[in-house]
This record gives sequence, structure tokens and C-alpha cells, in this order.
Amino acid sequence: MKTTLHLKLNGRDAALEVAPHARLLDVLRDVAGLTGAKEGCGEGECGACTVLVDGRAVNSCLFPALEAEGRSVVTIEGLAGAQGGLSSLQQAFVQEGGAQCGFCTPGMVMSAAALLSANRDPSDDEIRDALVGNLCRCTGYAQIVASIRAAAGKAGAP
Amino acid sequence: MGYDYIRPASLEQALSLAAQGESALIAGGTDLLVALHKKKRPAPGRLISIRSLPELAGIRDEGARLRIGAAVPLADLLAHPAQARLPALAKALGVMGSRQIRNVATLGGTLCNASPGADAAPPLLALGAGVELAGPAGRRTLDLAEFFRGPGRTALQPGEIMTAVLVPWPGAGTQSHFLRRSRVAMDIATVSLAACFGLTNNRLSGVRLAAGAVAPVPLRLRATETFLEGKALTDETLAEAAKLARADVAPISDLRGTAWYRRELVGVFLARALRAGNGGKP
Amino acid sequence: MSNPHFVGVETARPDAADKVSGRTQYIHDLAVPGMLWGAIRFSDHAHARIKHVDTSAAEKLPGVEAVITGYNTPEVRIGFVRDNFALKRDKVRQFRDEIAAVAARDPETARAAAALVRVEYEPLPGVFSLQEALAPGAVLVHETDAKGRPRKDNLVPVRFAHHSGDLEAGKRASKHIVEGEYRVPLIQQSCMGTAGCIASFDTRGNLTLIAKTQIPFLAQKDFNRALGALGLEGRNTRVVVPALGGGFGTGLDTHAYEYIAMLLAWRTGRPVKILYNREEEFAYLSPRQSATARIRQGCDANGKLTFREIEVTQDNGAYTSWGATFPSVMLVPATSLYRVQNISFESKIVYTNNTYCQAMRGYGNPEITWPIESSMDELAELAGLDPVEMRLLNSNQPGETTPMGLKITTCGLQECLERTAAGLNWKENRGKRRNVKRGFGLAGLINVAGGGKIYRSDGSGIILKPDDYGNVNVSYGGVEMGQGLHSVLALTIADTLGVRPEQVIVNQTDTSTCPWDVGTHASRGAFMACNAAVMAARKLKARLLEWAEEIFPVEVEEALAKARKHPGFKEPDFDWRGNCRPGCFELSDGILTIKGAPAVPELQVDFARLLRAIHFRRQGGGTTFAEEAFYEPPTELPDWEKGIGNMSATYAFGAQGVEVEVDEDTGEVKILRLVAAHDVGRVLNPQTLKGQIYGGLAQGIGYALYEEVLTDKGRILNPGFTDYKLPTAVEMGFPIDVQLVQTNDPEGPFGAKGVGEPGLVPTAPAIANAVYDAVGVRIRELPITPEKVLKALQEKRRR
Repeated sequence: MKTTLHLKLNGRDAALEVAPHARLLDVLRDVAGLTGAKEGCGEGECGACTVLVDGRAVNSCLFPALEAEGRSVVTIEGLAGAQGGLSSLQQAFVQEGGAQCGFCTPGMVMSAAALLSANRDPSDDEIRDALVGNLCRCTGYAQIVASIRAAAGKAGAP
Repeated sequence: MGYDYIRPASLEQALSLAAQGESALIAGGTDLLVALHKKKRPAPGRLISIRSLPELAGIRDEGARLRIGAAVPLADLLAHPAQARLPALAKALGVMGSRQIRNVATLGGTLCNASPGADAAPPLLALGAGVELAGPAGRRTLDLAEFFRGPGRTALQPGEIMTAVLVPWPGAGTQSHFLRRSRVAMDIATVSLAACFGLTNNRLSGVRLAAGAVAPVPLRLRATETFLEGKALTDETLAEAAKLARADVAPISDLRGTAWYRRELVGVFLARALRAGNGGKP
Repeated sequence: MSNPHFVGVETARPDAADKVSGRTQYIHDLAVPGMLWGAIRFSDHAHARIKHVDTSAAEKLPGVEAVITGYNTPEVRIGFVRDNFALKRDKVRQFRDEIAAVAARDPETARAAAALVRVEYEPLPGVFSLQEALAPGAVLVHETDAKGRPRKDNLVPVRFAHHSGDLEAGKRASKHIVEGEYRVPLIQQSCMGTAGCIASFDTRGNLTLIAKTQIPFLAQKDFNRALGALGLEGRNTRVVVPALGGGFGTGLDTHAYEYIAMLLAWRTGRPVKILYNREEEFAYLSPRQSATARIRQGCDANGKLTFREIEVTQDNGAYTSWGATFPSVMLVPATSLYRVQNISFESKIVYTNNTYCQAMRGYGNPEITWPIESSMDELAELAGLDPVEMRLLNSNQPGETTPMGLKITTCGLQECLERTAAGLNWKENRGKRRNVKRGFGLAGLINVAGGGKIYRSDGSGIILKPDDYGNVNVSYGGVEMGQGLHSVLALTIADTLGVRPEQVIVNQTDTSTCPWDVGTHASRGAFMACNAAVMAARKLKARLLEWAEEIFPVEVEEALAKARKHPGFKEPDFDWRGNCRPGCFELSDGILTIKGAPAVPELQVDFARLLRAIHFRRQGGGTTFAEEAFYEPPTELPDWEKGIGNMSATYAFGAQGVEVEVDEDTGEVKILRLVAAHDVGRVLNPQTLKGQIYGGLAQGIGYALYEEVLTDKGRILNPGFTDYKLPTAVEMGFPIDVQLVQTNDPEGPFGAKGVGEPGLVPTAPAIANAVYDAVGVRIRELPITPEKVLKALQEKRRR
């Protein structure tokens, strides 16, 4: 019944036993024990489950786990710098108040990471456009946008 | 749930698996998996993934037309240089879902899903696009306008797979515009409209119009097109065309808007698209 | 403390690093060994008699451990009027009524088994609107009250009213009178983290509930009562609060799913987790009430308000939560937003067969500020006054007592109005941009900001417990929901005690270790916690400095003795021995020294060293210690039927103004910029404070423009984010100018007022007023959708 899924998970080779119909989100959380990605809606609207597959942001709730075969998957746990320190993007979220209740935060940070890897110096509009698939109910997005702007090396008034 | 998930290596394999029945095709899966997860459709015995089939990949300029592999993710299409020549399509692709969705949702998938509000459909219809289908009986091509048969229903025969979308390059001087209303940025369209036309000395030619979310299928506004062909772009023409366009559509009232509002907007969007021909705000 | 180092300085939150790295644990991430999963079978009808429940098929499903119904479990009543039950027996009154529940090895099996429960119903006609429910001879949602006495109508038995002055005289004195009916929709709190809990019992019958709650201690009380129903009188509930994933009022009541988890855990003897998915959250968790308000108010020839008359009717749904008491908060703006003397306020809370509702941020205030502030603009127009002038003319002032008996201590309303207007270049812009369909609108607010007394105590306890390593562990019974409570607690304690904020560690909220707190609501969290913290930290500091008299000389002598071994050491030129008195010590940044002493290491005792010395090296035996303080604000529990009582220790004021552009062809309203001026008393942490305002604004804008739970005869039609739209980052992509007005409140900790709710209170009327300014149509029903605007524009053109 179960199949072995081979992938590069947060930079390391992994082999995980998964049901063929499993969603990547469930495999990450329940099999790999990486609970950073959250299920906020299960229908690709809220983005709390966002992870990177081959460097691109995807909703892991809508991603069949078996499609990750042979690919690289990075979760929020894999974003941290050396010795478990925070990446500069995560640091910026801390410094600028980008997290409140924090439930949307892992997904927000992953979407921001995908944006910044493709566009090192995004405008505010580009940042906001890149976040339409990430809902937040606490922050009104202002300090999230400021965090990403700061991480892009263009700190300004929020 | 509990279906099997198979990833064939070739189109041939996929077709033979699809011919065995008891299965459904999955490409990006952004619509299908939600439907399965919410039990809005019964789980098939297995899903056949066509996401990575080489025959469904790639974007190729074939001279007179652009051939877009059915499994090309929307994000790849959006990033392709060809979009500069297809501004209405680019605009529609840019508002479809989120980046996360566009990174996996495919052009073929959004058409085969046959949602009345699929944003890619009106620009493709207005551009006169066709689709290429492969099945047990071989390949065939079909005008996209013939492909949609109803909400969630298409001309695909059992065992058939869409392999490509074929977009004829617009002629020199052809403009294309896309307008859309949704409640927030991340939303299914309440109304969308695409227009392709030429405008020389204020006279319209080659008018092709299509609208989404205003009928059971994304549709061409044929009566309005006929009326506009060869007409001078005047306020009177626009008013009459808006009236015709409102009659060309058959919207319903749903969570996103009433039939009344959708009709109003079709007229407004048509007038704006045509005015954009003279540099107006679309 | 007069010169704080940390309070008022932009500081990163202590919980941020875990949140950005995915380490924070929400109920979704928690599991307990041996845990089963619960699932609930909800009603298929909005109103029906239950004829028969057959659980046999569900019981047979492999992996199912228990199936319970109202027939095979003790009756557990819920809610402050006790009209709800954990599991329903006689009839169902809404689509989400709980009929049966399953405990199984995994959530899929539990849900599958719940679907196998067969229920036979006798459908009944229902009431789904206020009109239907209030009509003579209407079908009764509840045929009897909690005591079994027959009921004769669909009114919830709670009354909130206020009548003061002479209404008729007020009307006679009016030159202008406006009247209007305003509506607000049903909306969903939309916490990003859905609801869930884990219930487990020890062998003696004590319950541990890991709960997504904002009221751990009232929940403990509720659950201890429920234990009684299980025959476990005298047993205790321990409520443990995980990271919340958003509260916004959803945690103000205890919920049927929590009692069901308790019943399943008791039945199976194993821990049981219930976790809602998003669709369930929408369909089975209580949203914010819809309501209709009729308002009439008038002014004299000069624009002075002469009277205000309001009638509110609120759709309660089928059962009663604390949300039914929204009118208790509506009383505040109804009687006290602007100076008005002759007032009538009446409210009705009506049972229907719709989903029952509960609290949400603002708690009645946005609902009532919407009509008041829309109507203020209408009145200003009639009186020929500028809307800002009209408001300034009637603005509340410091030192006044309002008709409700609210004692206004500090009041920044006037300054907020002025700064908002200035931020929008009001005089040059308002009323002058109609040619380009741009409009300017503004609205003011009053909100409780020093607690909101609706319970016999509105207090908060706190315990500060230092350890051997220089940390101060804080046990506080309120809830960090994301608002930044732990951040401001750390800053407040650090400054008051004299340590660094990173030395302050706020523990997880747990009723077994934290002192009592009424709950985190009513913008009270920071105000109460920090007031209690200041009290406790002062006590702690006083004790430490007393002990320092003995400790400090010993530690300094030791340090000096060591230092003297180094050649070239110079004795400090300071008489430290003569100044070893509590009044002369200085504890700051975690260093104990003597005021005026040179900054040499030998004359400084590190906080950790001081604590260890007290623990281990005191003459006559060391000690461990902690300090507790309980802050009860100087407020009154109002007389609700009279609507009189000073329910908060201080009040927040504010104003928000917007510039909008209206598309006359499509009816779309686009916000171009927004100014939010808020009287916050004093800023504790600018970052978390602004976070509260930005977040409140986004919810206010959702309420104003986008959000509505749609229903059809009690069934929710849009249970998810595909169909229920929250503003995204794109909708919020306009410039926001936050102006913080600091009135330095004497009762506030460091002068601070509560700020949790005000951000969303005046947003909708400010936008509606701006739409009117842009295109001349007044929308009286939220949300202000393009359809409503277009329809109104077309009607206006026809006239």
C-alpha cells in the first residue's frame, strides 16, 4: 500500500514511506515530523502550508507527495542558517514585527524566500502581489511587507 | 480517498492507462485535489499524473502560432517571452490564483477543468486558440470555442488527453485587452472579458470578444462582434455594443455576484476594452 | 521607573524567533501519547425533532473506540443562560447542532464513523430572520427556558438599555434630526489557526484540557461544573493554553466540541483530540452577530447634539454565548461618543434557527459606531457643518462624566480628530474632489481601555518568580494570542524591576500555575497584566533591596579582595559602605550598584549573583521566593437595565480617516490612503502597538468592504476562504499613517491604555462617509460591495 518517496528534504536525502494519495503537507508534518508548515484551509487559499519545491513556492496541501519524487523540498525548518540560527529573512521578520499569532508566518516567510530568490529588490507592489496567496488575520500585512523590504536590503519607513 | 497515484513516463503509457477506466487525469491538481479532499467528487480508483509527460511540456513558436504544452505551469507561460505578444493572455495569467497556484496549475488543466470563470479562457477564445487532443483514436484539434460544453464539461472523450493549446499569433495591428472584476486579488472572477480587434482610422476590424463567469461556459460574444465589425468607435457604437453584449451573456447569481451585476459589468468592460483601443483606461 | 529604558522603545517580540522558524506549537501540532481523535456528527436540519439516533454502523467501523450521543451521556449544559447542550437530545435548532460524537484511532476514521451515525428527524419550520423570529405566533426556537418554564417568544432573556435626560425635550430643541437604519452582516473571526482541544483525565477524575481559549479560568469554572454532571464533583480541571493561532473573540466561551472531547475522554479513558478544519471552523464555530440598528439623533442650530435614540436588534442564532451581551459594550459609544445628553438605547437579542454567534474583537462597538458615525455625517450635512467641525464641537473632553457614568480621565479625541483631518489635508480636499470621484471620510471612536467590567471581578493576578540564574519567570493567567502581550510584559517588568527584557521569561498560561485572570478580551490584556506586573515587580524589588543590605557588602568585599591581588588595583574612591541602604541601591539592566558609585565591576553585583546569594549564602539560611500581585481596576459592574456604571478604568479614543476613489461604472471602492490617530495613553512597544492598529484596520476594512457569511435558511453557503474573502496584502496596499496620541493615563501602566480593539471600530463608517463624499450615495448596509454602490448610484441617477 505504501510507497517509498525519495527526495531531498531541507538539503538532505530522505526516503519516506507514504500512502500514494498523500498530500505533501501531511507527509511533511506526520511522516517527517516537520510541523512548521501549517494547514490553514486545505484548499490553496491561505498559504500557511507554503514550502519550496525545486525553489518554487507551492501549497503543500495541494501537492501530491509522490510528485516530490527526486525533487528538492525546503520547509521553514530548512531555511534557518548555520547552527540553527535564523536566516536574514527570518531575522528581518523578527526585527520588523512580521509575526503576530505566527500561524501564517512559516508560509509567509517561504513565499517571501521564493520572491527574494527570484527578485532581489522587489517593489512594495511586487511584494504584495507575491503574498496574495498568503492570508494573515493579525498584522494587516504592513509589518510583513516591511520585513520583506528590510530583508531585501531596502529598509524604509513602514 | 485512498486512491492510487500513478506517474506514467510517456503519453502512450498515459493513454493506455486512461483507456482502462476507473481513473482520472491529474496535472497540477490545484482544482482536482480540493474537490477530492472536500468530497465534492467521488474518489477515482486511481489518479494518472500527466504533470511531467514530455509530450505535454514546452512552449514552442511554430511560425504562425504558439504551441503551449498542456502541462506547462501557468508561471512558466507567464515568464515566457511570447507573453509580450499576447498581452491579454499575460494579464489573465497574472491574476490567476496566487504564485503558489500558478507554480503548479497548468494551462491545460485550467481549460479541462472547464470552470465558467477560468481567467485564461476569454483571452484564448478571443485570440482564436485551439486545443490539441490525443486519444485512443489518434490526435485531433478543436477550436477552443467548441471545447467547452458546460460547467465542468468538455469535448474530451473518455480516454482523451489534452496535449497542447495552440494560439495563432495576432496579426499586425491587432490589439488585445483583458478586464476582470473579482472581490479581492485572490479570487475567482465575478466577470472577465477579453477583446481582440484592429482599429484603423477609428474603425474596428477583426473584432473577437469573449467573456467569462457570465454563462455556463466561457464564451464568444458573437452578436456583439458582428455588430461591431467595421463600425466607427463612437459613444453610440459603444452604448449599443454594451447593450448587445449584455444580451449575449446568460449569467447566474452566486456568491460572487448577481446576474444583474454581471450583465452590467460585461457592458462596462466591453466599452472600456474598446476605448482602450484609443488609449483609454482599460 | 520614571525614566524607562525599555518601555516605549521599538523592540522585537520574545516569541518572534520561534514563530519565524516554525517551532511554535499550536493545538494542531500537539499530540499526547495514547491519544484518540474525536469527530462530531452535526445536524442535517436547521430545526427538527430528533426521533431516533442509530450509532450501530459507526460503532462497527474498525478503529472506533466510542460513539456517544445525548442519550448515553450525562446532560452537559453550556452558556451563561444554560440554553445549550454538549450533545442534543430532544431537538436540533441549527445546522451545526451536535447529535453524536466518535472517538477513533485517527481523524479520518473518526469523521467516517460520525458520517455513519443515522439520525431520523421530524423537520420543523424555522425562523431565519429577525422579522420571522419576532412575528406574532412565530415558531419558538426554545419552547422552554433553562429551568423548564414555557417561553412565549424568541427573545433572549437579557436586557441592556439606557434612558437618560429628556428625549422629547431633546427632540424639541433640535433644529435638525436625522434617522436611519443600518445593518451589519454575519462575519467570521477567521483565525488562521482553526479551533481544537485535547482532553484527558487522570485516574482520579481530574481533567486536563489543552484548549484554544482566551478565558482559561472561566473555562476552568465551566468545566469543573461539567465534571459535576459526570458525577465528578470536587474534581478539578487544569486548562493549559497552547500558542493560539489567533483568538479575536473565538476563545471567549467554552464550546460544545470541548465538552464533547471531555465526554469522549471520560468514556474511553484515553486522551481525545478534536481539531476543526477550515470548513468546520466556518460551519460549526460561532461567527460574529448580524444586527440591525435604528438611529435617530439631532442637533441645534449651532450643531450641538440634542439627543440620540438607538434601537438594536441582534440575531443571536439558536443558543446564547457571551456574544449576546454585545449591547453591554454598545452602551459605551451609544451614551458616550461625543457629548449628548438625552439618550435612549434599547436592544433586543433574538433567537433564530441560524448558527449561534459569539464574540469578536470590538464586541458590539463597531456594530454601533457604524450607525452613530454615519449618522453624524448626515447630521453635519443637514446642519451645514463640516463633519470634523461637527465632531470637534461635540467632542468629549478630559474630566467629564458621561450619561452612562463613564469617568473620562484622559481623552485624546479632539487631538485624534484634528490629526486625522490634518493628515488628509481635510480642508482642502473634503467635498472638493467629486469631479474625480474621490472622497474623504472620517469617524471617531471611544472604547474601553482599562478593562471592561462584565463579571464580578475584572482583575488579574501575576506571579514573578526569580531563579538562580537571573531570570524572572512570569506566571500570568491571560493569553498571548499574537497581540504582543508577552512583549509588553517583559518590557514593563524589566523597567520596573531593573533587569533586561531577555531576563523576563513569560510561562505558558496554565490554570495550575498562574493566578486567576478573567480572560483576555475587551482590550484589557496589556493594561491589566502590566498593572499587575508593575505592582509585583515593585514588591519584588523592595524585597531584593532589603536583602541587598546584607548581601551587597559581602559580595563587594569578596570582589574587592580578589581585585586587590592584581598589582596596580586602585580602591574605588567612593564611600560604598556608608550607602548600603535600600534607598541608595540602584538595580538597573540586571546590575545592582549604589547610586552615584563609579562604574567599576567590583561595586556591581550581577542580578543572578544577587539571587544566588539570597538563595544560598544568607546568614541564618537562604531562601527562595516569589512575589504575587493582583490588580483589580477601580471600576463598577454596570446596572445593565439602566445602562449606568463606569465599567472601565480608562477609555481609549481615536479617529480614522480615508481617501477613497469610487468607480462609478462598476461601483468599486478603492482606498487610496488612510490616517489612523489613536489615543493610546502611552506607548509600551511601538512595534506591537502598531501591529495591533494595522491588524485592526485590516479587519475593519474586511468588515467594511468584503466580508459576509452568507446563509440560506440557516445553512452557511460560503464555509471557506475560496468563497469568504479576507483582504489580502494587495487590498491593504495603500499608505497608512498611524498617529499615536499619548495622553499618559494616570491609571495605565506607564500611562498606557488598552489598544486591542480600537483599530477596527471606526473604519467602516469612515469609508462609508468617504464614499458619500466621492459620489453622493450613502450605503447603510455592510459590506459596502460594488453591487450596492452601483445600485445606489443608478437609483440616484433615476431620481
